[in-house]
Amino acid sequence: PRPDVHPIAPGTHLLFAQSGKIEHIPLDGYNMKTEEAKPLLHIPDRVVIAVAYDCVEKMVYWTDITGPAISRASMSGGDINPVITTDLQSPEGIAIDHVARLLFWTDSMRDTVEVSKLDGSQRRVLFDTDLINPRPIVTNPAYGRLYWADWNRDGPKIEMSNMDGTDRTVLVKDDLGLPNGLTFDLDNQQLCWADAGTRKVECMDPHRRLRRQIVEGIHYPFGLVSFGRNLYYTDWRREAVIAVDRQSEKETDEFLPQKRSRLYGITTTPTQCPQGTDQFESQ
Amino acid sequence: IALTGTPGDCQPCPCPDYTSCAQIAQTGQVVCTNCPAGQTGMRCQMCEDGYYGDPLGQYGSARPCVRCECNGNVDFNAVGVCDRASGRCLKCVGHTEGEHCQRCRRGFYGDALQQTAGQKCKPCSCNPAGTSGHVNECHPQTGNCQCLSHVTGRDCSYCEVGFFDLQPGLGCERCKCNPIGSSS
Repeated sequence: PRPDVHPIAPGTHLLFAQSGKIEHIPLDGYNMKTEEAKPLLHIPDRVVIAVAYDCVEKMVYWTDITGPAISRASMSGGDINPVITTDLQSPEGIAIDHVARLLFWTDSMRDTVEVSKLDGSQRRVLFDTDLINPRPIVTNPAYGRLYWADWNRDGPKIEMSNMDGTDRTVLVKDDLGLPNGLTFDLDNQQLCWADAGTRKVECMDPHRRLRRQIVEGIHYPFGLVSFGRNLYYTDWRREAVIAVDRQSEKETDEFLPQKRSRLYGITTTPTQCPQGTDQFESQ
Repeated sequence: IALTGTPGDCQPCPCPDYTSCAQIAQTGQVVCTNCPAGQTGMRCQMCEDGYYGDPLGQYGSARPCVRCECNGNVDFNAVGVCDRASGRCLKCVGHTEGEHCQRCRRGFYGDALQQTAGQKCKPCSCNPAGTSGHVNECHPQTGNCQCLSHVTGRDCSYCEVGFFDLQPGLGCERCKCNPIGSSS
């Protein structure tokens, strides 16, 4: 195994990117075991932006804008393997469909949404029009849907499409500022976003388009991930990971890494792949 | 440990400003874990995203990490706005370009360094009828387009005094006024 990959204990963890490393925080239920937070991966010469987790093979995937590259490594320790290293400029969002075994990413300089298999093969540009600053991207494998956000100063928006690129639709364009973070809550079938412009976290039922505010007046969110009753976001100004209870609509916890610098993407490593795929397929 | 060890057992961290480090068990490799603000890397030898410099002087004299200097022409929500070593700006906006986004892009004119909001770099938009050059070729500061003979105006859209009838590709024609009956 490569020395800069630290294997981590079983259980659910939060993974987040900060200055050339991916850190992990073990979760005890929904509580962050902050005293046990440790680096998972050291990639000291790179700037890691987005992280994603494949629950099937237990691999972490990330984008770095300095390579630029998309790479992966096993959570149990092992080599860092490049997945995509060509025709990338500023890959700032990454998502995995663990069912279809696909990798999706956004590139804010190529202004694209792209897809490939998890090993980087069969790469294809899904969209290259009407994109200015695409950043976060998430999947809903149960419905075969893809969601992404664009923080274009002249018209931020959240869009969706099928995973094959058909049925592209603008889902949200009103009252948006800088939607940096996006996550899909499989339990409640809600799409949630963190906005550094409106300084809110909001959620929406993408079918009925019912929108609900979770928190407001937050500082500068970047990454967002949903896990059970909580949402966790990284914040550039607080240089912290913040937990928000979606029911009480309140901040419940924070983690301040010893190293003070910007935090980027965040994801979770559930011990089992999310259930529910079968039950939704018939709908 | 210190009771049974020797003076050489604990080594100072090879990190700037006495900051902490950690040793990776498998290899003995030492990684600095709490680099000074703006610095990162195994030995804090690099600058973080949004900063540039050469803090340990690996490539010449040491240059501390300072914020990217792009004359306010990069978006603060963007990542990777400048090269972490050279400081070259990589994501100029507002039709600017250059190492520090200090000038207007070709086809635009104005003052890229202007501090006030509003459009710093405006499109040349030369009048196609009155210009002898390209519609997007103008003086980078003044915005003056290359006009056909006796055509004037920043964008070459009207005739000089004493001339009339702007003809595309030809310019303006001298007024044929009778000096006796004219006031100018």
